[in-house]
Amino acid sequence: MENINIAATARTPALSLDVASRVFTLEGESYPEDTKKFYEAPIAQVQEFLSQSHEGAVTCQFKLKYFNSSSAKVIMDLFTSMESAAEAGNSVMVEWHHIADDDNMQELGEEFSEELNAANFKLVPF
Amino acid sequence: MEDSSVLRKEEEILVAYQTLIANQPDNVAPHQVTALVGHYAKLLKSYSRQLRISDKNEQRLHTISEELEVERKKMEGIADQLSKYLPTQIYESIFSGDQTFEIKTRRKLLTVFFSDIQGFTQISSILQPEVLTHYINRYFSELSAIAAKHGGTIDKYIGDAMMIFFGDPESRGEQEDALACVRMAVEMQARLAQLNAEWESEGLQYPLITRIGINTGWCNVGNFGSTDRMAYTIIGGEVNLAARIESKCEPGGVLMSFDTYALVKDYFEMEERELLSLKGISRPVQTYSVRRMLTEKEQQEQPIDLQIPGQEPIRIKTPELTLPERLNLIEDLKRTVQKLEGISHD
Repeated sequence: MENINIAATARTPALSLDVASRVFTLEGESYPEDTKKFYEAPIAQVQEFLSQSHEGAVTCQFKLKYFNSSSAKVIMDLFTSMESAAEAGNSVMVEWHHIADDDNMQELGEEFSEELNAANFKLVPF
Repeated sequence: MEDSSVLRKEEEILVAYQTLIANQPDNVAPHQVTALVGHYAKLLKSYSRQLRISDKNEQRLHTISEELEVERKKMEGIADQLSKYLPTQIYESIFSGDQTFEIKTRRKLLTVFFSDIQGFTQISSILQPEVLTHYINRYFSELSAIAAKHGGTIDKYIGDAMMIFFGDPESRGEQEDALACVRMAVEMQARLAQLNAEWESEGLQYPLITRIGINTGWCNVGNFGSTDRMAYTIIGGEVNLAARIESKCEPGGVLMSFDTYALVKDYFEMEERELLSLKGISRPVQTYSVRRMLTEKEQQEQPIDLQIPGQEPIRIKTPELTLPERLNLIEDLKRTVQKLEGISHD
């Protein structure tokens, strides 16, 4: 499987997957003009990656400043896939990074984390 | 259809069950019903989460919008204060985004005005500072209001002097700009005559008698200074000439260069003054002082001078023409125009 490395734009986040180190990162702001077009292919690849067995821990980092409702749906699906990967026996660590005084983004992370049981979840203020 | 695109999985489930019910409505297996309920529960959970997230986002946007409104009001207050330190036209063009904050200048044909108060140094040494401040502020307020009325850009106040220009940022054409400037100057002197009478009755011993100098010419206009601190102003020999003419103006008068005179002479009664040799100006300067503004009737009766390079000028004295003579002349001139336009220079 190939790595993913998509640079951020004003409306879309940076999206990367490092297959060797098993780190997925979504960083920036997300309100694409066409959510499906932006996310469909990379998220399908990430979900396929999560569905495989991994020897080491898989880390999923979210460093978002803002996202719209369509993006929230994509993130929710990702959380479901991460939980499935953990249920399948992988060690999955989900990191939700937020600006220290951004209570709203912290609460959104907590909201998403309710999807997780088998996967580990960590809030990371910065 | 953006929303449905991120809901593809849910749509697929729905289609699968619709097909199942349509094809075998009596044979839906219990495990299929259980699975459907499971999907529905998941969808409901996802939907309620989505609602909470959406509400939070909305709340956040509302908070940001309130913060922005506070900031906007703050900026508006600052801008309002700032506007008092900047020429109105410059302020407006900066805030409408027409001006850039670069050290950048351009050449423009402007009519430049300078004024100062005769014997101000002496007056300021005699009057109490509070009295001086009171009258000088009234003086500048009155003159500035007249400048604003005529569309002048107040460049700066230099002690008791005032520098105004016409033709930037907006120009109404060189003649209109020059006319507006001279009309403004005449109105200022008329108003100052009234004010000095009022102030004398209030007890002001020394009238604020003003000299005014005007010149029209090509100037460099724009932002001058350093990248940290700059001023939107004009510089150039023509600006200096306006200041020098002002210094030679009789107190209470309006003196202008030939270049301004040539543009406004049909609208004012003027008096030719002597050629002036001015400090820093290489050529002798012909000046004219304004006696009074002509009435509309007088303006119409002004002779029309046609200046033709290398040939004797033609003067048309309109009041001396009868109506048929005037109509014939109009026809002759029309033919002349057609003939001149038809001449090829190839």
